[in-house]
Amino acid sequence: MGNGITRREALAVAAGCITLTRCSMLGARSAVPRVSIVRAGYTQSIYDTVRRLLVEHRVDVRGKRVVVKPNLVEFDPGTTINTHPMLVHAAVEGFRALGAADVRIAEGPGHRRVTLDLADAAGYFETIPQFEDLFTDLNLDDVSQVLLRDPFSRLTSLYFPNTALGADLIVSLPKMKTHHWVGATLSMKNFFGLVPGGIYGWPKNVLHWAGIDECIADLHAAFPRHFAIVDGVVGMEGNGPIQGNPKPVGVLVVGGDMTAVDATCCRIMRINPSMIRYLRLAAGPSRLEEQNIRQIGEAIKNVQTPFDLIEPFQNIRL
Amino acid sequence: MPNRAESVPAKLMDLASIIRLQNHDGGWPYRNGGSSWTEPTVFALLAQSAQPGDRQSVERGLAWLRAAQRQDGGWPPCPSVAQSTWVTAMAALLPADQLGRACHTNAINWLMEQTGKETSLAYRLRNELIGDGAGADETHRGWPFFPGAAAWVTPTAFGVLALEKARRHQAAIAVEQRILVGREFLLDRICKDGGWNYGRSNVLGVDAPSYPETTGQALLALNQVRSAKVDRALTAAQDEARACQSSEGLSWLQLGLQAHGVAAAGPARKLECRRLVDSAVSILAQAALGGRNIFLE
Repeated sequence: MGNGITRREALAVAAGCITLTRCSMLGARSAVPRVSIVRAGYTQSIYDTVRRLLVEHRVDVRGKRVVVKPNLVEFDPGTTINTHPMLVHAAVEGFRALGAADVRIAEGPGHRRVTLDLADAAGYFETIPQFEDLFTDLNLDDVSQVLLRDPFSRLTSLYFPNTALGADLIVSLPKMKTHHWVGATLSMKNFFGLVPGGIYGWPKNVLHWAGIDECIADLHAAFPRHFAIVDGVVGMEGNGPIQGNPKPVGVLVVGGDMTAVDATCCRIMRINPSMIRYLRLAAGPSRLEEQNIRQIGEAIKNVQTPFDLIEPFQNIRL
Repeated sequence: MPNRAESVPAKLMDLASIIRLQNHDGGWPYRNGGSSWTEPTVFALLAQSAQPGDRQSVERGLAWLRAAQRQDGGWPPCPSVAQSTWVTAMAALLPADQLGRACHTNAINWLMEQTGKETSLAYRLRNELIGDGAGADETHRGWPFFPGAAAWVTPTAFGVLALEKARRHQAAIAVEQRILVGREFLLDRICKDGGWNYGRSNVLGVDAPSYPETTGQALLALNQVRSAKVDRALTAAQDEARACQSSEGLSWLQLGLQAHGVAAAGPARKLECRRLVDSAVSILAQAALGGRNIFLE
């Protein structure tokens, strides 16, 4: 992966939105989504925890190409903003142990062009062996145009990185954070990093004009082969996703249905998921209801940690 | 005062290595094995004008660029994208006699027509009709990364630099005026700490910090501008250089400060160049520290 467009990538692109949309409709959406909440810390045990969770969720990646997509945003040695490198490494090791043919780490930050320097400052080089060889800067990857079928936003097509289009599974590894424009940034919002800055710029402002919530829902539909592991060990509250404050929660939230994972994260943060517009667009209100999500592991009430919300979002409090 | 040897990064792709990355089609990729893109191709060519390069490589690179130019006069980020974007300003930084006069003129004409959506006539009319005239300030017209989006610091800085180059060879009142409003945009977007970030100094009432790379680019575009804001930005840029964690960020700061006759002391730790673009920008910064700032020629 990474060196030019391969046959598999070309097929993925040629199939375009029709294939992607059908996968979205026929895939995980028919079953009751399962979401795990497990207590975790940034310690060696996180490797076993992640591996166990992948087995529990019967993630079949044997012979598949997996792209692990963390949230790298800003220079922050405290990793309050960025996904913790130990969790990223644990995910890479976990998918390798399950027999994945190729596991890459890939990200396209929204504000900063110097992605590798960001990763260095966030401890990725130090924690993940051969990080640079494993990593694709999605902002600068080769791209293909994909038509969006029945988009929520005004966009009719987007260029996407071939590394993302060629993946059999994209694993969203966001930080659990509040967000000053959309309320909360979790596994779905993390897919903004799949949109290439090399085409749309830093920031990817085309998405803002087309509607942030609508574009989040479009990206969710465009990449239906996904899985989510949310870094809620230490999240961010208040004026997130950059200028907020650290919020220790001590959990990972994991599942194959990103709307269900994000709805569960919202409940942990004491945010009403049905007040998050992009969740309503992507899932519809009934699918976000707690009784329609099968919770595994810790009960929400046992780990619920109210996140401070800035003034414009006081009305989304659960 | 730092000397040039001190400011050379710990790891750097030298010019010969950059030339070796050239694709068979004549362009350069962002990363080894990738397809050719406009931006790295321009940087590889600029680096070869800062240091003695390979004439054949330069000719092939220029031929790739000429072929990649679109009918509307702009350049796409890469040939598979059917849209001219901000990288047109990068291409227009190359000398017109190298790129070709007609190519260059068409690029400048394309740039002159671009503006951030927030200051476009259609958007201002729409706002007037719905009774929201706030924020539609015609004097702060910058450039967007992608047509139909708002203006930001990086494309505006390179838009100003490209028009400045064109003005040196062919003075025109409209070009002069656009340089002025582009610079006004930059001065309007300055952060409270004195530098620039991507272009939003305050988000929901909270001041946002500046970045080294955008601070350097803005200072470069504001060369010859003297004001209290620029003086404060120069101080901020020197502070940012000492704390910088990115070789590309440091190189842009060095270029921006040099444009104002100020030398920058870098961080104690040696930074690494990891890619073609940051290596090429480092070569350009080294040339500037030696007295030759390619962006201002």
